Amino acid sequence: MTAVDLLLGVIVYALAAYALLAGADFGAGVWDLLARGRHAERERRLIAHALGPVWEANHVWLIFVIVATFSGFPSAFGIIARGLELPLALALAGIVLRGAAYVYRAYGEGAAGPDSLWSRVFAVASSITPFMLGVSGAALATGKITPSSGPLTPFESPFTLVAGAFAVVVTAFLAAVYLCYDAGTDPETEDLVPAFRRRALAAAALAGVVSLALLPLLYQDAPTVAHRFTERSIPFVAVAVVCGFGSIAVIWKRHYVLARATAATAVIGVLLGWAAAQYPDLVVGAATARDSAAGSANLHALLIAMAFGMVVILPAFYMLLKVFSGPERDAITTEPAN
Amino acid sequence: MLGSTLTDARVETGFSLAFHIVFAVFGVGLPWLLLFTEGRWLKTGDPTWLALTRKWSRVMAVLFAIGAVSGTVLSFEFGLLWPAFMARYGGVLGLPFTLEAFAFFAEAIFVGLYLYGWKRLSPRAHWLTLWPIAISGTLSTLFIVTANSWMNVPTGIKEVGGKVVSAEPLAPLTGPGALPESLHMLLAALMCTGGVVAAVYAVGMLRGRRDSYHRRGFRVGLVTVLAMAPLQLVVGDLAARVVEKYQPAKLAAMEALTHTQSHAPLTLGGIYDPSTGKTRFGIEIPDGLSLLTGFRTDKTIRGLDILPAKQQPATPVVHLAFDTMVGGGMAILGLAALLTVVALWRRRKGVRPLIPLSRPWLLAGGLTGPAAMAAMLAGWEVTEAGRQPWIVYGRMTVREAATTSGGIGWSLIATIVVYLGLATALLLILRRLATGAPPELADGVENPGPRDPESPDHAPQSPDPQDREPQSPERQTPESQTPETSPELEGAAR
Repeated sequence: MTAVDLLLGVIVYALAAYALLAGADFGAGVWDLLARGRHAERERRLIAHALGPVWEANHVWLIFVIVATFSGFPSAFGIIARGLELPLALALAGIVLRGAAYVYRAYGEGAAGPDSLWSRVFAVASSITPFMLGVSGAALATGKITPSSGPLTPFESPFTLVAGAFAVVVTAFLAAVYLCYDAGTDPETEDLVPAFRRRALAAAALAGVVSLALLPLLYQDAPTVAHRFTERSIPFVAVAVVCGFGSIAVIWKRHYVLARATAATAVIGVLLGWAAAQYPDLVVGAATARDSAAGSANLHALLIAMAFGMVVILPAFYMLLKVFSGPERDAITTEPAN
Repeated sequence: MLGSTLTDARVETGFSLAFHIVFAVFGVGLPWLLLFTEGRWLKTGDPTWLALTRKWSRVMAVLFAIGAVSGTVLSFEFGLLWPAFMARYGGVLGLPFTLEAFAFFAEAIFVGLYLYGWKRLSPRAHWLTLWPIAISGTLSTLFIVTANSWMNVPTGIKEVGGKVVSAEPLAPLTGPGALPESLHMLLAALMCTGGVVAAVYAVGMLRGRRDSYHRRGFRVGLVTVLAMAPLQLVVGDLAARVVEKYQPAKLAAMEALTHTQSHAPLTLGGIYDPSTGKTRFGIEIPDGLSLLTGFRTDKTIRGLDILPAKQQPATPVVHLAFDTMVGGGMAILGLAALLTVVALWRRRKGVRPLIPLSRPWLLAGGLTGPAAMAAMLAGWEVTEAGRQPWIVYGRMTVREAATTSGGIGWSLIATIVVYLGLATALLLILRRLATGAPPELADGVENPGPRDPESPDHAPQSPDPQDREPQSPERQTPESQTPETSPELEGAAR
C-alpha cells in the first residue's frame, strides 16, 4: 500500500467519522425544523441538549478532511474548490449559521432576537449543509467537474440533487436513532422516545426509497463510477442493505443501543461503496489521487503527524463521548481543596 | 461585483480573517485566565472567583463557537478564493495545517468537556480540562501562524516551471520567521484578551460597580495585558529583524523609507505620499532606523527603490498600520512601566490595593483593550499588505493565485452581510452577559456606597482588605454555589 492510498484511507475514515457524528448533529437540526405539536419545545430542548458538548468536536472532522485533502492532494483540491464553489460555499453558509445560531440560542438570553428566530436559523441551516455536501460528493463522480466548469454544473444532473436529498434523509435517520437512545436515558424525556422511534422508522424507509431512485441515476449520470460500482462495491452495498433492514427490525423491537450500531454500519457501507467506486479518481475525469498528490516527503510527514495526532485525539474523543453518554451523575461530590 | 475579482477576493479574505481573529483571540487567551480564576476558586472556595469563572466560561463558549465556524470559513476560502495558491502550495503547508487541525480537535473536545462538565466532573477534574484547552489553543495559534510566516519567507522548496518538485515538510515550522511571528501573534492574543477583560470591568467600576467581582476581573485582565507588553516588545523586535533580512521592501514600507541609504531616519507617524516619496506630518528621528536595525548610525537600510513602483507594497497603508501597532503597544508598555513604579511605591508605603483604582487609572487600564485590539489588527494589516503583490513572497503573486470565477462579488456581499449580522448579534449577547456580578453574590459583597479606593483608612498589614468578603462560619461548598439555570445545565432542568 502506497502513501497515497494510505492517505486516501485516512480521508475516507475521517469522512465516515464526520458522517456518523456531525451528520447526526445536522440531522437533529432537521428534526428541530420538523418538530410539531405540544411536545415540540421539549423535543427541541432534547436536541439542543444532545448537541451541546459534542457538536464542535464532531465538526472538526470536516476541517480534518479539508486539510488532509489540500495537504495531500493540492492540485485536486484546486479543481474541487473551483468546480464545487457554489455547493461548498452554501454548505459553508449552513455551517456558519448553524453553529452561530446554536450558541446564540443557548447563551443569548434573547439579547439578539428571540430564541425562536435562532431556532429557525439553526434548523434551516442544519438541513442545507448535508444537502450541499451530498451534492458535492456526488458531483465528483459525474465527470462534469473541471477547472472551467460553471458554478451551476454540480446542480445540473438529477443524480447530484437526489444524492443531496439522500444525505439529508440519512443524517435525519441517524439523528432519530441516536435521539431514541438519548431520550430513553432520562425519565423526564422517556415519553419522547415513541415519536423519535416513528421518525427513525420513517427515515429508514425513506432512505431505502431514495437509494432505489439513486441507483439508476448513478448509471445514467456517472457512468465511470457506476461501472466500478458494479465491479467493486456490491459487498459494501450488501452490508448497507442488510444493516438498513436490520436497523428497521431492531428499532421496531426497541433495541436502541443495537440500532445505533446497525445504523452506523449501514451508513459506513454506503460511504465505502462510493469511495471504492470513486477510486482512484478524486475528481472523475479531472484529477486522480496519484497525479495530484503532494511530494512523497510531504505525504510521509503528514501520515506521521496524523498517526501521532490520532493517538492523542482518539482517547480524548472517546472520553468526551463517554462522559456525556448516559444519565447525569449526581452533582459534584468532591469538595475543592482547602 | 464591487471591484475586480482580485479585489473582491482580497477584500473577502481580509474581512473573513479580521472577523475570525477578533473573536478567536479570546479562545486563545480566556482559557489561561480561567485557569487562574477557577484555580483560585478551588483553593479558596471564594464565590467571587467562581462567579468570574462562570461568566468568562460562558463568554468563551460563545466566542469559541464563532471562532470555530469562522475558522472553517477560512479553510474553505483558501481554496474557493485562491485555488491556484492551494493547488501549488497546499502540500508544502500541509504539516502546519494538519497539526493545527489536531490542536483544534483537542481544543474542541476539551471545551465540550469543560463547558458542559460542571455536573459530570469533579471540580478538580473540571479545572484540569482547562489545561488541554489552553495548551492546544496556544499551539493552534502557533501552527497556523507558521503557515503565514512561510508565505512571508518561503524556504525549503524547489520549483521547476511553476511546479513544486520538492518541498521540505518541516520548512514552515523551522523557517526563520516561524518562531518570532507566531509568538508575536500569541502574545497579541493574550494582550487583547487581558486588555478587553480589563476594559469591561473598568467600565463597570466607572459606572459605580466597585465590588470585589469587578476589582478582581479588572486586575486579572490588566495584569495579563501589562505583563505581556515587555515580552511583546522583544518578540516584535525579533520579528522586525526577520522582515529586514528577508522582506526588505516590507520593512521599507513599514518605515516609509523611500531611498536605500545609510544613516536612515526613523519616521514616526505621518501620511506617506507615494507620488513624492515624502511622509507628511511625520516626526523624523535622524539615524534612528539605522541605529535600531544595525546598532550603528551608518548601517545601510534598503528602501522602497529596490523595487519598481509596481512591485512595491501599498506604503501609505503599511506605514500607518505599523505606526498604529507600535503606538498601541508602546502606550500599553508605558502604562506597564508607570504602574510598576506606582505599585512598588504603594507597597513601600503600605497602601493597598497595589493597583490604584481611581478614575484616571481605570480609564487608562480600560483603554488597554481597544489599544491592544487596534494594534493586533494593524499588525495583521502590516504583514499582509506589506507582502503585496505577493501571496508567497517572491514566488507567486496574489493575481496569479486568485480564482477566475465570476461569482466572487456575490460571495463577498453574502460574507459581509452574514458576518455583520452575526457580529451585531454577538455584540448584543456579550453586552447582555456583561451585567455585573450575579445576584447570588450581592449579599455582603457589594459595597454600600461609593467609597474612595484611595482613602488611607485601609490597614496596611491586611493584605487586601477590599477583597475580604465577610465569610459565614460555614463556608459554602462549591455545589451549592453552582447556579441552577444555565444552558450547560439544562439537562437537569428540561
